[in-house]
Amino acid sequence: MKLEIGNIFIKDIQFAAESKVADGVLYVDKAALEKVVLEDETIKAVSFDIAKPGESVRITPVKDVIEPRVKVEGPGGIFPGIIAKVDTVGSGKTHVLKGMAVVTAGKIVGFQEGIIDMSGPGAKYTPFSQTLNLVMVCEPVEGLKQHDYEKAVRLAGFRVATVLGELGRDVTPDETKVYETCGIKEGIEKYPNLPRVAYVQMLQSQGLLHDTYVYGVDAKKTLSTILWPTETMDGAIVSGNCVSACDKNPTYVHENNPVVEDLFAQHGKTLNFVCQIITNENVYLADKQRSSDWTAKMCRLLDLDGVIVSQEGFGNPDTDLIMNCKKIEAQGVKTVIITDEYAGRDGKSQSLADADAAADAVVTGGNANEVIILPKMDKVIGTLDYVNKIAGASEETLQADGSLKVELQVITGATNETGFINLSAR
Amino acid sequence: MAQTIILTNNPLVVEKLGPGAPVEYLQCSYKSVLEAARDRVHQGAKLLSHPLSGSVKPGETPYKSIILTMGKGDVDEQSLRLIENAILACAKFQQRCDRYRPAVDLDCRLIDWTLLEGALASANQ
Repeated sequence: MKLEIGNIFIKDIQFAAESKVADGVLYVDKAALEKVVLEDETIKAVSFDIAKPGESVRITPVKDVIEPRVKVEGPGGIFPGIIAKVDTVGSGKTHVLKGMAVVTAGKIVGFQEGIIDMSGPGAKYTPFSQTLNLVMVCEPVEGLKQHDYEKAVRLAGFRVATVLGELGRDVTPDETKVYETCGIKEGIEKYPNLPRVAYVQMLQSQGLLHDTYVYGVDAKKTLSTILWPTETMDGAIVSGNCVSACDKNPTYVHENNPVVEDLFAQHGKTLNFVCQIITNENVYLADKQRSSDWTAKMCRLLDLDGVIVSQEGFGNPDTDLIMNCKKIEAQGVKTVIITDEYAGRDGKSQSLADADAAADAVVTGGNANEVIILPKMDKVIGTLDYVNKIAGASEETLQADGSLKVELQVITGATNETGFINLSAR
Repeated sequence: MAQTIILTNNPLVVEKLGPGAPVEYLQCSYKSVLEAARDRVHQGAKLLSHPLSGSVKPGETPYKSIILTMGKGDVDEQSLRLIENAILACAKFQQRCDRYRPAVDLDCRLIDWTLLEGALASANQ
């Protein structure tokens, strides 16, 4: 499977009378986008705002971050099974509006999550302080249930990203990258001396604000399966989760998964990147057993030499992580696991809620309990009403001078377990 | 399948599952629900759902619901490890949910219920 990614570098976003991309500037017709959002009758109103790197702006509570893309050649379309038809994606040519993101924000439940600071110390802890962000805050109709509101905001974000992505269809990309992996037999013949390596990606799948969708299917209801690694670049996996935002994968991370990116960079040189295996993180223990059994079984069936396993979340997924690691190692396949830590505010507590001797190669995304002071920003997009209630925040969160004392948990992407940010430990 | 019981301190679970459901409603803290589950595990019950379900951490939500078997007998090693680690994890998080506004409290009940609902869907298929 071969996919060509054409990156169109976006250097600025401006509101304008007509939506278009010209000379690296994304012009956005706010009224036209509003119509796209309000197609859903459960959304009463939407407001759009632009947040740029370096500005004194805080976005909260963030629900998802999405990179606009458009399929210009090859089968299917972006966000298959959700926006586009369910055709298999990951081949042909895709254009990307690089350097910007659609950020959906708004209060769905009262203890919600997710802060993006565009400047100050907090900006160092979120990758999305570096993107030009088109932020949309959706207001639900009176009496809308949380499940329906979550779904409405999730889908509205994908609709808006799709409309914006479409603007890049006829634009000549500034940079083109080619990603290609081959079938099993072909790979063995082509790279006989290279270790066969796959990426096992664990997907959060537990309930409201804790879900992930694969080709439109709720990951809770899936069995572990195999993808061409390029499929995720076309939006095959999207986020429906945002609670404890530090170690959740927004859709943007799925589209730009750094483990996939790095494995491609080594493909054909130091390793043979065989495939991506996806597996869920359900609440029910028999589901955990089944999913990790299947993951290990596939690793053996594919005759892999090694895998990189990335987790999503903390606590209950620690059990899935350790089950995956232990069972895959028992098949004779080496593992490196990527996790983050909840080691307490002083960093002295046990980091994970589960462990095993087989987990002897571990990369951490940092300690999510670490405390940080976020100074007051001139502008808040969304609301601070609930900031005392989010994970990692506490009653003393909002200080007299308007600054916030929080744990890294609240910052979108701070301890991301695909390594999407630079926090770690040695 | 073995007979099961749901330990919960979430009134919404009681309301949703209705009378006659195998629910033991406990008026206690999140941690005490875990400890009640541990007591049953010591008597031979097995955990069927993960005690740290959800990303709303101990201390951030007052509610917890856990599905266990009713069985008595030998202690299940995996269940014991999971429940003990879950109780240990409680100490790492700041307690603040006792000061939530009523609307936030209702949201916490809802999230706990949706986590349990997913597990029940798996249990009943």
